[in-house]
Amino acid sequence: MTIAETSPGPREASTPGEIVLGLRGLEKHFPIREGALQRVVGAVRAVDGVSFDIRRGETVGLVGESGCGKTTLGRCVSGLMDPTDGGAFFDLSSGERDRLDALLAIPEEARTDEQRSELDEIERLHRVDRLEGEAWKRYRRNCQVVFQDSFSSLNPRQLVRDIVGRPLKVHNEASGSELTDRVVELLEQVGLGRQHLYRYPHQFSGGQRQRISIARALALDPELVILDEPTSALDVSVQAQILNLLHELQQERGLTYLFITHDLSVVRHMADRIVVMYLGKVAEAGSTEVIFDDPSHPYTDALLGASPDVSEGADVPMRSLEGSVPDPARPPQGCRFHTRCPVATPECGWELDDVVRWLQDQEGMFDQIADVERTDAFTGMLEFEDEAAANALAAALRSEDVPSAMRSALDRLEVSGKRVHIGFRPVDEVVLTVRGPGHEAACVLDALPDVVDA
Amino acid sequence: MTLTGPSDAVAPDTRTDAIASVVDLQVHFSSKEGTVHAVDGVSFDIRDGETLGLVGETGCGKSVTARSFLRLVPMPPGIHVGGSVLFRPKQPCDRCHGAGCNHCGQTGRVSVACTSCNGSGCAACEQTGNETVDLTSIPEKRLREIRGNRIAMIFQDPAKALNPALSIRDQIGEVFYEHRESEILERAGMVPDEVGTLLHRHAALHSRVPERLLLALPPLRSKRNQISRAVDEMVIDALAETQIPNPLKVMDRYPHELSGGMRQRVMIAQALACNPDLLIADEPTTALDVTVQARILELVRELQEIHETAVLYISHDLSLVRRVCDRVAVMYAGRIAEVGPTEQIFHDPLHPYTRGLLAALPSAQHERGKLVVIEGTVPELIDPPPSCRFSGRCAFSTQACETIDPRLSDVDVSHPVSCFIHHPPPDGDPPSFDRRTS
Repeated sequence: MTIAETSPGPREASTPGEIVLGLRGLEKHFPIREGALQRVVGAVRAVDGVSFDIRRGETVGLVGESGCGKTTLGRCVSGLMDPTDGGAFFDLSSGERDRLDALLAIPEEARTDEQRSELDEIERLHRVDRLEGEAWKRYRRNCQVVFQDSFSSLNPRQLVRDIVGRPLKVHNEASGSELTDRVVELLEQVGLGRQHLYRYPHQFSGGQRQRISIARALALDPELVILDEPTSALDVSVQAQILNLLHELQQERGLTYLFITHDLSVVRHMADRIVVMYLGKVAEAGSTEVIFDDPSHPYTDALLGASPDVSEGADVPMRSLEGSVPDPARPPQGCRFHTRCPVATPECGWELDDVVRWLQDQEGMFDQIADVERTDAFTGMLEFEDEAAANALAAALRSEDVPSAMRSALDRLEVSGKRVHIGFRPVDEVVLTVRGPGHEAACVLDALPDVVDA
Repeated sequence: MTLTGPSDAVAPDTRTDAIASVVDLQVHFSSKEGTVHAVDGVSFDIRDGETLGLVGETGCGKSVTARSFLRLVPMPPGIHVGGSVLFRPKQPCDRCHGAGCNHCGQTGRVSVACTSCNGSGCAACEQTGNETVDLTSIPEKRLREIRGNRIAMIFQDPAKALNPALSIRDQIGEVFYEHRESEILERAGMVPDEVGTLLHRHAALHSRVPERLLLALPPLRSKRNQISRAVDEMVIDALAETQIPNPLKVMDRYPHELSGGMRQRVMIAQALACNPDLLIADEPTTALDVTVQARILELVRELQEIHETAVLYISHDLSLVRRVCDRVAVMYAGRIAEVGPTEQIFHDPLHPYTRGLLAALPSAQHERGKLVVIEGTVPELIDPPPSCRFSGRCAFSTQACETIDPRLSDVDVSHPVSCFIHHPPPDGDPPSFDRRTS
């Protein structure tokens, strides 16, 4: 059977259903400490204000490059880490959700005491990192995680019976022979059997270990399963087995999946909706069809262009992005993607750091910098060792050497001796805008230009 | 769908233009449980200037095969049981010194005449007249001359493959010191034949502490500095070729200061520094992000076209192999399942394993939960019985598959397959794609 011959299968359209988990402005910053006193000098903004909903019974795919914060987000959602700000809200009724959105829409300073206490009440009852006692226990039951590396996420000194039976024991669900029966039942559901009960994890292959992880996650019959790259350590033929298994289990038990991966072909196959992250922020979110057929964000487009489908021949060119992901401790202004964007405009948030970044790639120029003084992110002064270098920079900034969008965004460029004063037009952070039903993108362009030339 | 696909677009298979041939290579590993037959009779050719993809799942022996080229498999526990890796090295063209001229077809490299027959063709060189060395048996000293010079390797994880204690300058410079002693001296403005032993040894990185002390004193100091500058220039050229911005600055950095994509570029620069005949790329983009991956592959392709280097591209990612390779060899459990031109392998796979592998790839065309699965897992390779290695997972296997070992033989000239579906077994029931047995 050739690949081209398989007919496209039907795909259920995602219907707005009950929301299992709502993320509202989730932030996770990791402090950077320096010096003998370990003072906090900055923060790596791993996740920086992410909001989306996960509805019951659907699969949400979370994609992005390494370091974009997708795993950190998964950890915050599963309660393994506490977010710095915002949070994931579990089990909101639709009334409560509307109320929460209305309250969060009010700026913090403008809230009345009454509104504050109302918000506090909702957060206390529903925000994952503030749940306590029974509510916390209930959440832990209902949200389970399957990790990427099944070798390090299964205790090598425990038998399969203990690993899979552990959640049942912790929640006093079963013990003794009843526990064994329940474990066998779970193992059978994931394609293993009674003969595997008394073995250690190292006696299994990668695919089988991942099945054990899945069995453990399903032990307490959760609503939401967070799958953090569940198949990226597996071979193609085994990956197919696991993906089929995950789908079967979802059908049988009505599970909701948050599928974190960097593999676009897997996410296309599995997900109903896709959230694309870049540098801690959501670049685009929408249904799988829209994201793959009609992306609105140049980053999504670049991701799609860079990962070829095996059914495409060698004549379809692969596209790639220049440069590397900027430092998440100093994320770019405006649109975070503008430093690598092939269709960047003057409104994308060009800033002083872009000039410095550009200088780093120029021979000799970067070593000439004596001092950088920033008034704000957009304006500042660069001091060079000699006047020639200052003049060379000014000339380069006016010439074709720099991206034309960057040139047009330049407001002020003055040379006085060794100093170059630079000012860009300040812009606000680019926010998600609605592009269609259930489709949002954070880009200043309304539509992608037809020819995106990388 | 036809089983014997068209092959008119394919150049006829002539062994003469093969830069390297693996002939019935067997590499085993001894373990407590028994002998692991990691590579068990692998044969394929790499033609001059082509990209050959070697695909297969984890543990199928593709990396061991590749490492056997440079004898990087540790022995013991590895055992070289039999077979050979034949390599026909070239040397820089004596007319243009590697710059590319009409004599060498712009490649900068020419074949070396066979030492035993002086180019007329004999048994030692398989009548090609070109020097043929067996990489599995030549002395270590000779192999050292080939490693990094005629055959270079790019490893999977550049963070591990680069030496964290050496700056990029030292890492790439080492390649030149090792293999390009006379070129360094020429670049430094000296005539290699007239230079004293001391500088020769320095340019080959053989100098010892007392010699280095001597070199640090005038008048030799200026000569030494000239040599360092010449190497720096060569390093800058090598880095610039891989489109690293500002090579002058990157040169003084250490591997941990660079991003993954940059590190991989440094490794490519290092590998291509000596204009090798064969480049072995062992999963070069697995550790990189997709957006960078495309750029790196493009770069390898561009440089390959400039230097006309043959590339052995090892990967488990079929969609990339399809883009990058001219021909593909599919490996399964230490054996070659089939070898053929890329389009034939992907459009018209002959081996049931290749078919299964392609069908198992998730795509938009598959209904969710309906991926075609290859049942079972890769068999244990400890003392395997004589049978088709795939018979345990194959949907078409018969009694014959489980008792007789199929050998790789041609279905058409350019597409050998090891499966009884295409060449019937010596006795027993021949399997067929029309008949599912499990």
